[in-house]
Amino acid sequence: MSEEEKKFDIIVKSNTRDLFAFTKLVPSRKKRFEKASSEPITTDPMNELAIRLHPLRQYLVISEIINETKSTKTYKLTPDPNSNTNQLAYFRAGQYLSLKVEVNGVTITRPYSIASSPSDALKGFYEITIRKEEPGFLTQFIWNKWKVGTKIESSGPEGFFFYEPLRDLKQIVGLAGGSGITPFRSIAKEIAEDKLDAKLTILYGSSEEDDIIYHNEFKVLEKKYPDKIKVVHVLSCEKVTLEGCELGFLTSDIIEKYCDVNNSSFFICGPQIMYNFVEKELEKFNLLHKRIRREAFGEIKEILSDPEFPQEVAEKIFKIKAQIGNLTKEIPAKATESVLVALERANLNPPSKCRSGECGFCRSLLISGDVYISPVSDWRKAGDKKFNYFHPCASYPITDLEIKVPRHL
Amino acid sequence: MSESKEQKIEDLYDVVVIGAGNGGLIAAAELARRSTKILLLEQHNLPGGFASSFVRGRFEFETSLHELYDWGASSNKGGTRRLLERYELDSEFVAVPEAYRLILTDPDECMDVVMPFGIDAYLDTIEKEAPGSRESVRKFFDLAEDINRATNYIGQTKGHPDQNVLLKEHSNFLKTTAYSVEDVQNALNIPEKARSILNAYWVYLLVPMSRVNFTIFVSMVHGYILKGAYIPKFRSHDYTTALDTRIRELGGKIEYNTTVEKILVENGKVVGVETSKGDKIKTNHVVCNASPTLTYNKLIHPKSEVPEIAYKEINARRHGVSTFVVYLGLDATADELGLTDYSYFINNNMNTDELYESLNNLETPKVQATICLNRAIPDCSPPGTCIVSITSAFLPGVWDAVKPEDYFTLKNKIAEDLINTLETATGAPIKEHIEEIEVATPQTISRFTRAYNGVVYGYEPESWDSFVPRLMTMNDEKHIEGLEFCGGYGKRCHGYSSALKDGETAALLTLQDLIQKGELK
Repeated sequence: MSEEEKKFDIIVKSNTRDLFAFTKLVPSRKKRFEKASSEPITTDPMNELAIRLHPLRQYLVISEIINETKSTKTYKLTPDPNSNTNQLAYFRAGQYLSLKVEVNGVTITRPYSIASSPSDALKGFYEITIRKEEPGFLTQFIWNKWKVGTKIESSGPEGFFFYEPLRDLKQIVGLAGGSGITPFRSIAKEIAEDKLDAKLTILYGSSEEDDIIYHNEFKVLEKKYPDKIKVVHVLSCEKVTLEGCELGFLTSDIIEKYCDVNNSSFFICGPQIMYNFVEKELEKFNLLHKRIRREAFGEIKEILSDPEFPQEVAEKIFKIKAQIGNLTKEIPAKATESVLVALERANLNPPSKCRSGECGFCRSLLISGDVYISPVSDWRKAGDKKFNYFHPCASYPITDLEIKVPRHL
Repeated sequence: MSESKEQKIEDLYDVVVIGAGNGGLIAAAELARRSTKILLLEQHNLPGGFASSFVRGRFEFETSLHELYDWGASSNKGGTRRLLERYELDSEFVAVPEAYRLILTDPDECMDVVMPFGIDAYLDTIEKEAPGSRESVRKFFDLAEDINRATNYIGQTKGHPDQNVLLKEHSNFLKTTAYSVEDVQNALNIPEKARSILNAYWVYLLVPMSRVNFTIFVSMVHGYILKGAYIPKFRSHDYTTALDTRIRELGGKIEYNTTVEKILVENGKVVGVETSKGDKIKTNHVVCNASPTLTYNKLIHPKSEVPEIAYKEINARRHGVSTFVVYLGLDATADELGLTDYSYFINNNMNTDELYESLNNLETPKVQATICLNRAIPDCSPPGTCIVSITSAFLPGVWDAVKPEDYFTLKNKIAEDLINTLETATGAPIKEHIEEIEVATPQTISRFTRAYNGVVYGYEPESWDSFVPRLMTMNDEKHIEGLEFCGGYGKRCHGYSSALKDGETAALLTLQDLIQKGELK
């Protein structure tokens, strides 16, 4: 700093008053304190709003189970007041819940899109629709064990797969595959309720006619709102009896046939293989980034099919030395399963939500060793990459590892 | 079920630091550097508090920082830079190109001016915009230098200055520090138009010129204009994660996802903390990055250990604003959009009483501070894109009655209004280029930081509660032995550099206590 002398003498009110004001500074502060109320503050309204919109967990109970198709069921979930959940968090149509499932004593999580509308949450229920996967030990378990009355722990509503009026065009095209139809049911209902000012055309890929979920429900909506909601079924099977459907896959030809490609916002939700296919088809239209929104598709199903995955470790089982809180434990980890799965198998109850690398909830520290992260699910921040933080749900061990994992919230 | 019992932390620590915000991180780093056994507990799963970042699509957004104060070039390092450099962080900072562009949108205002860094250049520009104002504005900066000398002197005397020296050599500091900006600017006869330009930085305090303390304001303006402003090249998450790394290298322990629920106090002394994970940790020292408001009203246990005066101190103060931010990832470059500047202050006018009042209802505020990040970091987003963030604010209480089912519509409406204002003021076609958009409200602040009622700006720095009286009284406003506060509610008021420096002070005070009590091994 400069060592210069001051250049002039300030007078604000008068010399004496200015100095007097300074000497009164602390005493008048004390006086203000003495005069103030001594009532504690007991409310924090923004915290209350945050808890209502984004509860850390919601305790739910299954109130109804609806058989949708031979392999899908819809579970109606209501608050479980016995566990202090009295209302459900409101959400944006398209968001998901991360459900905690305890399978044979091991706690894992799965993200499921909310299939009911946001206003249904205010009425006291969410609906999720689950397809039984083959193979898929978790969905088999759910299928067999979830009954009316079963209690389920859930996250708050999560995810960024929703219509954003400041960005998206009024015409939404939903490209759905299989159970990827679920978020579009929520969006369609919100449009039908006149809460969302948009039009929705869904191109819905299914493998068999009897795999189509919500078939009749969408028929009713289409009839009632012909200007706003339209569903085109695209079936990959050989024989079809349904009228007005397309055969094959969601190709650019089919997309062009039903959509004004350059005046629509595309929303994609379905299994991973469908993304690979549909994205290639959409490339032909040379659309802007902002016109294509993708739901995270969950954990990569076949990491070995990723061309960049180091195939030489495919058969290996590595050791992970995991610190979690005060506990340090050495656990086995297959190269072809995510670090998150290894942590769950070892019953360490790690945090997780999206299981797609996107939300960062499982963010952990890689102390030593190396992991493979597929570019499609690498959502890490620049600083995390630099300082070796990683997302276990989207990382595969390719050496022995030492890691530090935060405890679950 | 799971092995959560085995995961519990039940050791003994010299110091527990609560919260990994700017203040908590520095406190933890400084204590760890001095071989203290520390545990840093953070409720979120990231370090940084407000100093963070988030990813949407192809963009990584800076959450709250506009420009770091008191950093300075390598030839003229400021205190914030010297402090952070002590920890030898692997983190880069870059200079912001110009001070700010001020645009006033009321039809009779006609103000659109770009202000440069550097005192002389600044004076030249202000003279051109408001002829005849140079000398009075120069005096404003001269006063800032006097105040700087005074605060340096007080610092050198470790807060025990010689009254005679103060009176003789630092009378300009003494005679202004009890006054508002308006009082002193009146005395300096600064013309109205020059004041409008000079007071544009008020958004970083958001207290009207008629009430905000002169000392803190003049120091801030002078610091920015003299030393320039800097930002982290890879967002604030980069330097806060660098601090996290350094703390662990120095032997400190950090636990994320761990909320402190109780600070245990016995006979007026800290004896431990309890967390949401059931941890019971023994310690005689807590450095708390949470506000006194939250700490005394919620954390101290049992409640009977909270003295009445602690509640009175909180209730006598006024909580500052919470923020409202629209984050935009745009699919056009700043050049294509015609966004020529880094920092835009866009207000209806510069009547700060009126502007402040506009933060007190759910209508769209008449104030925005907008950043085009690519103007300081050209490659902060992919080629062909840029990052723009619009920040406004609300006074605490305004959002209290908002219902969850109205929340998303409300925030989108305000976001749209702010974007429209930006479009009109700059001519940039923002809306047609939105690729990613995220909107943070006071609720969002509360959700991620748990700051009391979403407050970002700590307690309002009126003269009686600005940094000078806070520093003068810091020893007699301690109510629980072993408890030190740090952060934006701290002794230097809010802001990144204030919070960082306050973390250092809290660490040093704690260290002194540890040494005096012979508790350090």
